[in-house]
This record gives sequence, C-alpha cells and structure tokens, in this order.
Amino acid sequence: MELLDDIKAAKDVINALMKAKKAFRMYPENNPMYAKTIEDTYAKFGSFFDYRDDLTLKIKQNEIFCDTEQVYFNQQKEDNLALFFFKDGLREISFKKGFSIQELEEFLKILTVDYDREVLDDDVVTLLWERDFHNIRYVVDEAFLVEDEDYEVEAVREVKDKAVETDELTRAYEDAFKEEGVKDISIVPLSDKDLHMLVKELEKNNYNKMDKLLTIIFEMLYQADSKGDYEDVVHFLNDAIEYSMKHGDLETTTNIIKRTKETVDDPAISGEAKKYLNLVFSFLGSDTAIKLLGEFLDSGIEIEDRIFADYLKFLDKNAIQPFITILGELKSIPARKNVINALIALGKKDIQSLAKGLYDSRWYVVRNIIYIIGKIGDKKAVEYLLKTVNHGDIRVRKEVIKALGELGTQNVLQTLRDCLDDSDWQVRTSAARALGNVRSAAAKSIILRKVLDQDFRKNDFNEKKEFYEILSHWKDNDVVEFLMKTLKSRSFFNRATNDENRACAAYCLGLMGNKDALPLLYKARESNNKLLREYSYTAIKRIEHEQ
Amino acid sequence: MNSKEEVFAGAKDIINQLAVIIRTAAIHDPGNIAVTSAIDRFIAIVNPLITSEGEVVLELRGEFFYLGEARIRYSLEYLPNFDFLIREFKKREMGSIVFKDVLKAEDMQSFLKVFISSVFSSSPFEAITEGMNDIDNLSVGKLRKIREEKVEGEVDIRKVVKKSYFNAVSYTRGVINKIKSGEKVSIKKAKRVVESMVDMILEEEQLLLGMTAIKDYDEYTYHHSVNVSILSIALGQRLGLNKKTLTELGLVALFHDMGKIEIPNEILNKPASFTDDEWNTMKRHPFWGVRAILRLRGFDSTSIRAAIVAFEHHINYDHSGYPGTKKPLDLDFYSKIISLADQYDGMTSSRVYSRIPMPPDRALSLMMERAGTQLDPILFKFFINMIGVFPVGTLVMLDTKELGLVYQSDAMFLDRPKVLVIINNKGEKVDGYIVDLTEKDTNGKHLRTIIKTMDSNKYKINLAEYLL
Repeated sequence: MELLDDIKAAKDVINALMKAKKAFRMYPENNPMYAKTIEDTYAKFGSFFDYRDDLTLKIKQNEIFCDTEQVYFNQQKEDNLALFFFKDGLREISFKKGFSIQELEEFLKILTVDYDREVLDDDVVTLLWERDFHNIRYVVDEAFLVEDEDYEVEAVREVKDKAVETDELTRAYEDAFKEEGVKDISIVPLSDKDLHMLVKELEKNNYNKMDKLLTIIFEMLYQADSKGDYEDVVHFLNDAIEYSMKHGDLETTTNIIKRTKETVDDPAISGEAKKYLNLVFSFLGSDTAIKLLGEFLDSGIEIEDRIFADYLKFLDKNAIQPFITILGELKSIPARKNVINALIALGKKDIQSLAKGLYDSRWYVVRNIIYIIGKIGDKKAVEYLLKTVNHGDIRVRKEVIKALGELGTQNVLQTLRDCLDDSDWQVRTSAARALGNVRSAAAKSIILRKVLDQDFRKNDFNEKKEFYEILSHWKDNDVVEFLMKTLKSRSFFNRATNDENRACAAYCLGLMGNKDALPLLYKARESNNKLLREYSYTAIKRIEHEQ
Repeated sequence: MNSKEEVFAGAKDIINQLAVIIRTAAIHDPGNIAVTSAIDRFIAIVNPLITSEGEVVLELRGEFFYLGEARIRYSLEYLPNFDFLIREFKKREMGSIVFKDVLKAEDMQSFLKVFISSVFSSSPFEAITEGMNDIDNLSVGKLRKIREEKVEGEVDIRKVVKKSYFNAVSYTRGVINKIKSGEKVSIKKAKRVVESMVDMILEEEQLLLGMTAIKDYDEYTYHHSVNVSILSIALGQRLGLNKKTLTELGLVALFHDMGKIEIPNEILNKPASFTDDEWNTMKRHPFWGVRAILRLRGFDSTSIRAAIVAFEHHINYDHSGYPGTKKPLDLDFYSKIISLADQYDGMTSSRVYSRIPMPPDRALSLMMERAGTQLDPILFKFFINMIGVFPVGTLVMLDTKELGLVYQSDAMFLDRPKVLVIINNKGEKVDGYIVDLTEKDTNGKHLRTIIKTMDSNKYKINLAEYLL
C-alpha cells in the first residue's frame, strides 16, 4: 500500500536526521557541509509542516512511529535512532510548526553527543530538558529511575499503620479551646535594598569556586589527625591540579601550588604535613600533569607569558623527562616553543637529566634538546653533546655542531676539526661556522689550515666562500696577510680554481673593510676571470662605501 | 530568529518597563515628563507585539508572569522589577492586563492614575475596574487562584507528585547504600531525579513542598536529603535561578549530608544525648562529606559546589556553627540556601535523638529569631514567603471550630492556606475534607480563618497519614 504524503514526509525527516547525525560527527562547524546538513534537514521538516502543524514521533526500542505508521525500523544496536532515544526513557517526541533552524541545530548537536563517554553526566533527556526548546516537546518514562518498585507502596502502608487514634484526635480538639490565640507572624516584605543585595549575591554565585574549595582542603589539612587525612588532602590537591589543567586553567594550577607552598612555609604546619605536601610539587611535574599541559598547549589556547613563567617557577627537575616526552608528541609550533622554553628553564637546574633526551629515539627531539642545551650555555653539557656528533641524522649533527660552537670550550675544537673532513658539505660548513663562533686563535688556525689544504681548494665555490666568510670574523694580520697572498697568487695550472680562491679572498677582504687591500682589488677587478672581477668589484664598492 | 520570537524574547522588557512606569508614577504626576517618557518607551516595546498578535494578555499566575500561554523568563538584573510588579499586582488583587489594541500614551496615563490610587481603596481591584470604564484599549482581570480543582479526566497531579517524591527517596536510599558498599553511583540518574523535582517545583510547587511534610523516622536520612533538596530548589526558584542552576542546587542539596555515612551507627542511632566525644565525631561530618563527595566524583563543577556545601552547611551565617576555620569563610550562596532548608526540615522531623519534632509554625518562628544571626535574613524572607505563615502540616483551629491540618500553602495569601479538616465543628472525626481559606462570602468576608495553631506531634497526628 502506498504511504500517505505526510507519512512519507515524516520518513524523510527521520532519514535526514540519521544523515545529519553522521555529518555532524564528520564536519566541524565552519565546514560548508555542516551548514548544508542543517539546511537540508530543515527543508525536510518544512516539507512535513506543509501537511501538518505537529510532527509527533512515538518511540519504541527498535521502531519509530508517526501515528500508527512505522517510519523507522532497525534491529541493530549500532546507529539505531530508536534505541538511542529509547534507552534514556524517551517515549515520544514532537516538533511543532515554528521549529526554528537554530533549534534544529541545537537538537542535532544533542543527537551527536557521545553519550557512552564515562565522564559525561548527561543523557539525551537531560540535554533536551536543559535546552528547554520552545517547539520540541517530549514524553519520558521515568520507570528506569526507580530503584525499588515497592518502595512507595511500603512507605504508604507504614504511614497508614501508624494512623492516629480517635482518642488522641478528640483530646486535641478539646485542648484547642484552651490554647492561646494565634500570634500574628508578620512577614517583613523584601525591600529594594534586600533585592539589590541579593542581585550581588547571585552575581558572586557565578564566580569560580575552586579557590573556596582549596581553602576547605587546606582547612582539612590543618585539622587532619591521621596519615589517611594527609593522604586525602594530597590526593585532592593533585586532583584539583589535574582538573584545572584539563580545563586549560594554568592560573588556577599555579594558584593551587602557590597556596601549597605558603602552607608548607607556615610554621604552624607539622613536619609530617609538609612531607605530604611536597608530594603535590612532585605531581605538578609528573607525566600525568605534564601530559595534560601538553594537550592544553596543543589546543591552541593562548597562555599569558606571565602565567606560564609563574607556573614554571614551581616545577622541579622531575618535570624534565615528561617534558622531553611531550616535546616529541606536540603538533603545534607555539606549543613546542613553550615546552622548549620550559626545558631551558628547568635544564639549568639539572643538565644531566636534560642530556638524557639526547638518547631519545626521535631525531627531532634530540635536535631540540641540543638546541636547548646550547641556549642554556652550560659548558658542562659539552661532554654529552660530543656523544651525539656522530648521530645518524644530518639535522641532528648540524645542530650539535652549532651548539658546540656556541659553547666554545677548548675540548670541542678537535671534534669540530674532525667535522671539517666530513664527507657531507653541510656538516663541514656547520663545523666551520661553529669554529667561527668560538673565535679563538686555535679555531682560526684550524680554518686557515683547512683553506690552505690542497684538497679543500678543489671544493665547491660556495663552500669555499662560506669558509672565507667565517675567516672575516678575525680581523687580524694573520688573516689579512693570508688573504692578500691568496688574492695575489697566480697559477699556470688550475687557473680557474685559483681564481675561485682569489675571488673568495676578495670577498672576505671586502667583508673585513680592509682599505689596504684596495690596490690589489683594483687590479683583480681587471682580471679576465668573470667571477674574480665581480667579487673584486663588490669588495671595492663595500670598502669605499664604508670609507 | 523570526520577528515573533524576537517580540517574545523582549517580553521581559515589557515587565521591566511596566515596573519602571509604576515606580515613577508613584512619585510623580502621570503628566510628568519622567512618567511620559517612561510610557513612551513602554509603548515602543509593547505596540509591535499588539500589532503582531492582535490582543495581548499579560497575566500573573502564582509567582510568574505569562504572556499568553508562555511564561516570561527573566534574568538576574530583572529580578527587582519583576518582584516589585508581582507585589503591586497582588496588593490590588489584580491578575492581568489585557492590551486590546495599539496603545496610546493617554490610555496608559489614565490607567496609571487609577492603578496608583487604588491601593488606598478597601477593594482595590474593583476600584481599578471602575476607574477604567473610559479606557477602550485596556482592561484588567482579577487575580486567579493558581490551580482550579481537578476536573474529570485530568491526570491526578497529586499522584504524579507523590510518585516523583518516592522515586527520589528510593533513589537516595539506593545511592547511599551503594556508596556505603563502595559501588559506583550514576550521576546521570541523580540528575534525572532532580530534574523531575525541578519540573514539579515549577509546575506544582505547593504540592511537592507538601510532600516534604512526610517525615519518616525510620527512613529519616533519605527523606531528609530529598526534603532539603526540594526545599532548596523551591527557594532557588523563588530567587529566579534558571532550570540548570536549580538542578545543580538540587543535586548539591541531595548530597549535603553525605559525610554522615561515615558516622558509626551506634552514634547516629543513639537515643540519648551525645557525650562530648560523640558530639565531636558528629561535628566531623562536614569534613567527611567533602571527602566522600570528592572521592566519589573527583572534581567537576557540581562536585566542587557539593563539597563546599557539605563543609559549610552547619557553619551558620554568623559563623557560630561548626566546623571552625582558621579564617572565616565567605559562605557560598548554595550553603546559605541549603542550611535554611536543612534547619527547617531537621527541626520538623523526628529523629533518633529527638523523637518529638517541632511543629512547622514553631520551627518557622524559631528560624525567624535566628534570621540575621544563624540564618541569612534576606533568604529567610524568601523562605517564609515560600513556606507560608502556616506551613504544610501545621495543626490549626479555625474560627468555625473545625480542627485541621494545613494541606497546601497559598502562594498569594500566605496566611490563608488550604486546610484538611479532620474534626468538624461538632467535634466529630471526619474523613478529611479540604477547605480553602481564601474563600469569601457574598459580603467579601472570609469564610474561615485560622485562630489557633497547635502541636500536632503532641497528639501523634501526622499529615502524611492524610497526604498519602
């Protein structure tokens, strides 16, 4: 038998709801498909309301009916719209004509909530109830709320069993004539002042209550009289930290720890209590707490620098390892930047713990740790860094060479010299740059020796140019003499290579701004070699301009 | 949002502005610029609605204003003006204003004149209707009783309320037993139970409040938790809290005495007075309440509030109670509400250590003495308005020589509740019939008035026997 048009339209609404339920889970609110889903579903409701003013759906475990017609049937447990409503006691739902598109969106959001998540305290009925839709009505069977079906019957029977005796009633009636007349209980009406006070009280009611609860928890500590009481307090403070971290409220976290610190410093607090409170500081730097911080940092919520710095002050070196762990897991650049800053601050307290990060299996973590160690600038870190110079990843090797150069101790020179002979030109130039950062005479000698090396002279022009550029950091006679000599040098064999070296020398002299080199440079400018001509010309311009 | 919904969303502004006009007109002449500009603003709000709806009826039902059939919701900042207007309507026994056609400023000026002056009349409502003969676009209606008697075929709402109440008690018993045995507790269910109570309070406040008069000595803990929850929700509703907040308040109230689970039964059920040690143990229950709640739920917005209330509900407004704290705590709003409800229900219930409860009216008198010291004085004013001068369960003698129990308070006339007569004017026991003390004879004189209140417990009279 063919369905009536209104029943067909009701069926279309159900199908649209099912589709929307899936789409809402797939697309974020800013996706065009999200808006389209709402519009399409709304259009289906609109079509139904062309026939009737009210869409009432009766819900059974696996079926939905419109009037007596079945408009939905599904025996599966998964994606069963009927069961979805039925399990929370919903037995009928009606949509009235006038149902707005905003109401539909809110309703669809309720359909999409993942109710199986244990943390969620709401079911479908609660959410419908809280939204208080203007154009959605529903009928609920509360039977599943009843813990004991006979409770009411038994309670009533008990009361009836204790029924008052007639004699007592008669006595009450007789006594009533002897009682004093009723006193006038005057009700003082509410004044405007009362109402304004109340308004203020209600405003205060919206404030964050965590601070108040913390006061109570610390009060429990002051009045604790057993080990169990102390353990409870520590447990609750840790939970409070976890809760505020989960909500991205780093300020409250810091407040909790500040208050813990104040309490530890209170002379009235027993040694036992202090011992327990110290566990809270450990928790702050635990894997759990730092992981939560990581999630929050990755969420993109901005943290004020002041708040983050305040929070870092309370972290201990035990936070280093958890921070290293999350460093490799974070997705966003600002989040990694925050963690790096945290590790720079914490690493100063314990470079050894930080150095453990150099053995991390993730190359990018190792590279970040090297960067952090370099920033800390603790020369004690060199021994750890030296061990990573032969890391399998070129990016790590480049970073460690750079860091060694920044640290610049005597014992890094040999390693950097070795790196100049590396088969990878990137490593060689990184090492040269690092030596340039060291700036010592020994470092200079190493580079000078390298550029004089016959094999080096055959290297790519850009690499050689980089080495000469580094030499320009030392503006002393040794370097100038070497450069002038190079610029003057002539060769019958390998002339092109020789001219490349001369061009590098010209470039370097230009960078140094050495005007004594001008006559030589003028001469070189006339060279037949195009490269030498150009570099000499640029060097002259630079020196003359600076004059 | 379509234009009609926008108009309804602005309904609270109509109430607000009407209150402003009446306040201003009480000070100035209706022709004064302050009044006329307030009228102009009112007209600007109300006329679009009249244009769209044809006729607009603004009606006071119980403690709420309705626009047509829709209850007007309001937020915090509107509370003073809503409350003011309710009082002004009630003073005049006026229940509604009907805007029949687009308003003119003159209509409102004429209305204000008779409205303001009517307060001095012995029959204010009649004075208003007489004075409004010349106003075509406006009329007024008399204040209606909230609920007319049951008509045939209608669901027996009392049965529904009773069922809800016992569901809540049964649920609470189940929860407490589960907690005692270390089982998990579903907060989803708790929410649903409280939501159902919130609905009842919004729809049938007095009926559900009446259920709190059921005091079962054997099941005191469970009844007390539910009663405190109901009384708190009802008070919260009077304070203009929204549904979601009322649910949170009700949940928090339901768990306020959670710490008592840890008090040994031999102390909790001791029939004699407590020793100092036992009393000290009793006084630890606020600490244990915090512990039980946080252990049960961990941290979330509701458990934080519940833990605070579990700790504070005996501290008292003037901090004279327990537990003592290093620094005085600024008591939480919920704590103040719940301690009122807790004291009232505690005083009017029989317990192991106090078998004879206090009559409700006497408990209220005692609480009145405590208002400003142990109890928040402003909240107490709301509380007494809610409970009525003669709370449900009070044994009363009427001027007709009938003896009865207060059965249902009247939201409008606090000293004129409905009474269940148990002994007629001939001194004979009767099955119980309900009389409404707001009823008047043709001369406008009340048919019945309470002349005496008595201690029902002295005669072992229990309202529950008649309510159930």
